[in-house]
Amino acid sequence: MKLRFDEGTEAFRAEFLQWLELNRPSVEEMADDPARSSGHSPGWTRAWTRRMFDSGWLVPGWPPHLGGRNAGPLETLVYLEELNRAEVPRTTNPQGLGIVAPSLVDYGTEEQVEQYAMGLLRGELTACLGMSEPDAGSDLASLKTRAVIDGDRFVINGQKVWTSGAGYADFCFLFCRTDPDAPKHRGISIVLLPLNTEGVTVRPLREIIHPDYPDLSEVFLDDVVVPVSNLVGELNDGWKMAGGSLAHERSMVWLMSVMGVESAMAELLETAPGMMASLSPREQVIAADDIVGFYVETQCARALGYRGFARFVKGGNAPEQALMKMYASELRRELGRVTAQWHGGGALAVSEGRRSSLGLIEDYFATFGSTISAGSSEIQRNIIAERILNLPRG
Amino acid sequence: MDLELNDDQIDLRDNVRAVLARECPASVVRGVYESTGDASALRKQMVELGWPALGIPEEYGGLGMGFVEVGILAEELGRVSAPTPLLATVSQFVPLLVEVLRSAPTSKTGELLSEVATGARTGSLALAEKGRWSPDSVNTTASGEGDSVTVTGTKTDVLAGAEVDSFAVVARPTGPAHPADADRSDGLGVYLVERADAEVTASKVIDPALGLADVSFDRAPAKPLLTGDADGEIARAVEQAVVAMALHTVGACRRIFEVTLEYAKVREQYDRKIGSFQALKHRFADMYLAVEKANAICYFAALAVAEDDPRRREACHVAKVASGDCQSLLAEEGLQLHGGIGYTWENDLHFLLKRAKVADVLCGSASWHRARLADLLGLTVEVAP
Repeated sequence: MKLRFDEGTEAFRAEFLQWLELNRPSVEEMADDPARSSGHSPGWTRAWTRRMFDSGWLVPGWPPHLGGRNAGPLETLVYLEELNRAEVPRTTNPQGLGIVAPSLVDYGTEEQVEQYAMGLLRGELTACLGMSEPDAGSDLASLKTRAVIDGDRFVINGQKVWTSGAGYADFCFLFCRTDPDAPKHRGISIVLLPLNTEGVTVRPLREIIHPDYPDLSEVFLDDVVVPVSNLVGELNDGWKMAGGSLAHERSMVWLMSVMGVESAMAELLETAPGMMASLSPREQVIAADDIVGFYVETQCARALGYRGFARFVKGGNAPEQALMKMYASELRRELGRVTAQWHGGGALAVSEGRRSSLGLIEDYFATFGSTISAGSSEIQRNIIAERILNLPRG
Repeated sequence: MDLELNDDQIDLRDNVRAVLARECPASVVRGVYESTGDASALRKQMVELGWPALGIPEEYGGLGMGFVEVGILAEELGRVSAPTPLLATVSQFVPLLVEVLRSAPTSKTGELLSEVATGARTGSLALAEKGRWSPDSVNTTASGEGDSVTVTGTKTDVLAGAEVDSFAVVARPTGPAHPADADRSDGLGVYLVERADAEVTASKVIDPALGLADVSFDRAPAKPLLTGDADGEIARAVEQAVVAMALHTVGACRRIFEVTLEYAKVREQYDRKIGSFQALKHRFADMYLAVEKANAICYFAALAVAEDDPRRREACHVAKVASGDCQSLLAEEGLQLHGGIGYTWENDLHFLLKRAKVADVLCGSASWHRARLADLLGLTVEVAP
């Protein structure tokens, strides 16, 4: 156990900080042209991704030709810490950089890597993940979107929903059924679908916060034709690859959620004295109790996340990583609620423009998505109970 | 930053756990609860294994290990709700003596540590008064000079107070300071009082295996270890006592979790293992999270103490709050999921429930530490004049 990182890791941090200082996008350019969804990349993001790629800072753990510098996991950790501290997004298309690109590198053909993965890494393309369907949410493996092989092409019919970023993304990493007779986990394949293909209709799903800038979409697929060369990996092997793709993210995604909770807590502490000044002594006692309770939770989340990461780096089991999704997303939501508690009607205000500072209740409601998306809290609890604690299925 | 135990620490934990599983089964605890046995064999074994010497510097015959290792021992003792003064000795008495020794190296303090290392002396920290665990609440006084110093006052909730050989008493000096500490004239002091010179009243509490006692001193002969202005040393020792008690709580909670989980995998109702019901699965996931997060933050605090990091004070409060919150959930859910059988005296579960609850209360409850954290975070209420 130790509280500090070793000298090599700190040297790596210093090197990155120096580069970041000189190359980061400015606060103004980020504010002037914010990303409108997780599939949208405004000009500054494209340039920023390209700068990181060219300097080996986009995916530090990868080799230089893929935008990295063969960094180890500890180095990647401090890199992410510093990006967060500087309030610079690593990407505005997290599913593209974090899931689709690594999956293509692992399972894609040379042509797919060159055209799609390198497009994502150079900041030229964005991607969305076509997974959930109206009747396949938590039970994702029962998805029905059908891809039929017809000579050298797939003909695809079906519907996706909750597809983040589909309204702006260039292509979709589409999960579809290619063998309807096989057991449900064994008949799924992954196909790369350019979203400008004929027969693709994307309909934005207006969200409860900022309905004019939706991230989620429905995607309708009517006789959509793509070449069979767009198949990723083996036919009917999609479910296994899905596990592999998501594992890429899991080792680091906890850090983002911990940092999200920490910065919300820091903001709350920063505004606390001003808020307290307007409260009566009795009100202050109650407010302080709430804040302290969540401060403790924030510290716990941090310690749990970092411990899980230490286990992961040593190659051991890290059950913490399964706990963090449910813990951090629920904690972030509760923090949003507490933060809005003592501001009277001022907490109810609606903000102008997306991603500029949200009103307090808006911020609270905006957290409601994260306990549902990417595996709801209920699914997380099932996974913990059955796969970690080995409780019987039933 | 690496918050995972290293290989040596994992070995220590596994060794301690194996010894305690063998030497301290629930039957030993039951013997103490029912006054049908004592834990003398267990205590002898612990001394033979050198456990009291764990955190004592090597020059005083100790093993020279750090505070994380002391925390591991505290956690494992909680896991078996061990009836032993060892927790008091290693996590309260020794830390205060070591802090004192660091500021005022005297042969007296060094000799005391050497005696603890060989198992010849056990000790505890006599701090709390009227149930308040805080140096600010100390009214016990020390007076006199040189060899004629005496201590007067009443201490409550002294861990293993009914069993240890001596007390490290936190008291307020009155009258002129000890000549050797002429420049340390204000604040609290630390005094050694032998149990034979104190009036010890064993507390009738829900966990009789901790040997809790109220201890009164009526002009009791005392050896001054640090007279006056020892607030810093006391605070640092108190932090160690707090983190160790937090880990002790979490150790008991983890065992509650394990036995409840085992039970859910064998108990059948409606022709199914009850652990297959989703209503229970989700609660097990929440209990598991509670134990793991409390464990993680407690070891973070132990590490902050071991490395003397500036975050140590805050981390200690956070750890005690987290362990107390963990305790509430595990005690309530652990018994609930056992059903009626967990509510019977014959089932061993209650030893763990009681140990966890008592450990939550001792060294400041979760609520008390929440209040201290509010102070530290600048959320203190300003009282209008």
